Amino acid sequence: MPRFSPTVVDHFTNPRNIGQLAGANVRAFVGNPVCGDQILLTAHVSDGIVADLKFQAFGCSASLAVASLLTTVLKGEPVNLAGTLDADRIEELTGGLAPDQRHVAALAADVAHRLAANFRSGVSDDDPITCAS
Amino acid sequence: MGNSERRSPTLQLETMIGAPGAALRLPLGEWEAGIVTVLREAFRFHFERNEFFRAQCDANGVTPDDIVTRADLPRVPLLPVSMFKRPDAHVLLTAPLNDIELEIRSTGTGGVPSVARRDTETVSRALIGILSTYRDFFALSKGAGLFLSPSTAETPEMGMVKVFNLLNGFFDDHVYVVRDYAFDPEEAIEHLNRWHGEMTRHIIGPPFLVNRLLRFLELEEQSLKLDQDSMVITLGGWKRYTGESISRDEFDGKIEKYLGITADRVRDMYGMIESNMLAVECEHHRKHVPPWCYVSIRDVSDVDVELPVGATGLIAILDATNESYPGFLLSDDVGEADESPCPCGRNGQTVTFRRRRHGAELGCCAVSIEKFIENKQIVAECAIPEAE
Repeated sequence: MPRFSPTVVDHFTNPRNIGQLAGANVRAFVGNPVCGDQILLTAHVSDGIVADLKFQAFGCSASLAVASLLTTVLKGEPVNLAGTLDADRIEELTGGLAPDQRHVAALAADVAHRLAANFRSGVSDDDPITCAS
Repeated sequence: MGNSERRSPTLQLETMIGAPGAALRLPLGEWEAGIVTVLREAFRFHFERNEFFRAQCDANGVTPDDIVTRADLPRVPLLPVSMFKRPDAHVLLTAPLNDIELEIRSTGTGGVPSVARRDTETVSRALIGILSTYRDFFALSKGAGLFLSPSTAETPEMGMVKVFNLLNGFFDDHVYVVRDYAFDPEEAIEHLNRWHGEMTRHIIGPPFLVNRLLRFLELEEQSLKLDQDSMVITLGGWKRYTGESISRDEFDGKIEKYLGITADRVRDMYGMIESNMLAVECEHHRKHVPPWCYVSIRDVSDVDVELPVGATGLIAILDATNESYPGFLLSDDVGEADESPCPCGRNGQTVTFRRRRHGAELGCCAVSIEKFIENKQIVAECAIPEAE
């Protein structure tokens, strides 16, 4: 049985919307202090719609893949959708995660919620990601 | 095969991994022939299968057939370890993602994890090689291990903990005394006392935590006398250790004073999660490079230049065991390699780590990841559609 679903393989090897969005009006960051996985979303939200969105992620392959997947799910959708995604839904979208990969679905849900919350409250997270990328 | 070839076969990679003790005791000339052969084949493996690595080779005008003698090894293109922190590090992989069995990480100085992805063959080689190395250097088969580290259950992907955890199989009992990032020296001493008279006690952990245990004993004015064959085995954490301004001699002296373990049984190790190189100290405190790796010391101002033996420079590691990605790495560590005979009887190289490199990230790849991906996209976009 493959260790990664075809969706995870696809997003890991062909990440979509990678980088930081210039002119973003909302930024959301979540990091797992134990495993070190980190996801930063930078988005331009216009009239409540995620007009554009990019990600930066560091960590295991599954975390990079779900961050990419998340951007494809949210782009063009109402920003409120981000607040409704939970880990189960994200795992479903990935086509399945192994037990040692499931933490990334929770991480993706957390950063999606944070994006929606940050937009509502008009705050943006700092950029804690410092990498020579 | 001629008789001369039969008399002096080149050491096979499998033999190096399974019997590093024997491999490290070969005459220097045989070591040199063996390492060049296995590195050339590893180079060929990635040259033929890894587009990103192939782009580096093509840009540098080097092929596996150009690697004939040791003097040719510096021509093998290197990957800076900082690349393993990147979100687009998938291009480093030779193996498809579904062959990746284990992802191991460390946390870099910027808090960004470096992630090394190993396929099944590479994991097998790493596990067998490290276990065989432990057996050769430590000759452990029983006793109790006090691990001044979290368990692998708490930190399943942390490289240092994984490497420590491999020692577990040698012991009859063990305990991890770092939980939720907290270390209680009193608990550590309770375990040592519990095993007293029952088992030979060993301490395993990063130097800064061993030092914390020593400081506790010092403040409590308490000295323990561990057992005749007890060992202290350390890995990682030198930044904290040196930050606390304690020299190696002072460290060893305190271990002898407060734990009753002589310096020859205090063994440090050096490695990095991106490589299957774990250099382990012998009783003479020289860290022996495993037989499947070659350490090349590079000029900090021009990393293409290999410095002579004994000179201080950037540590590059050429690892023949990695099939998941090219194990030809330029580290951020500064140190030296030595090839003088070691009184322990092992030959080959030893390595000394001095400090981390200061300054900006290195950009030694001939073709950057950005350029590589960009070119691939351009090629894909301009491709002529197949006729239906």
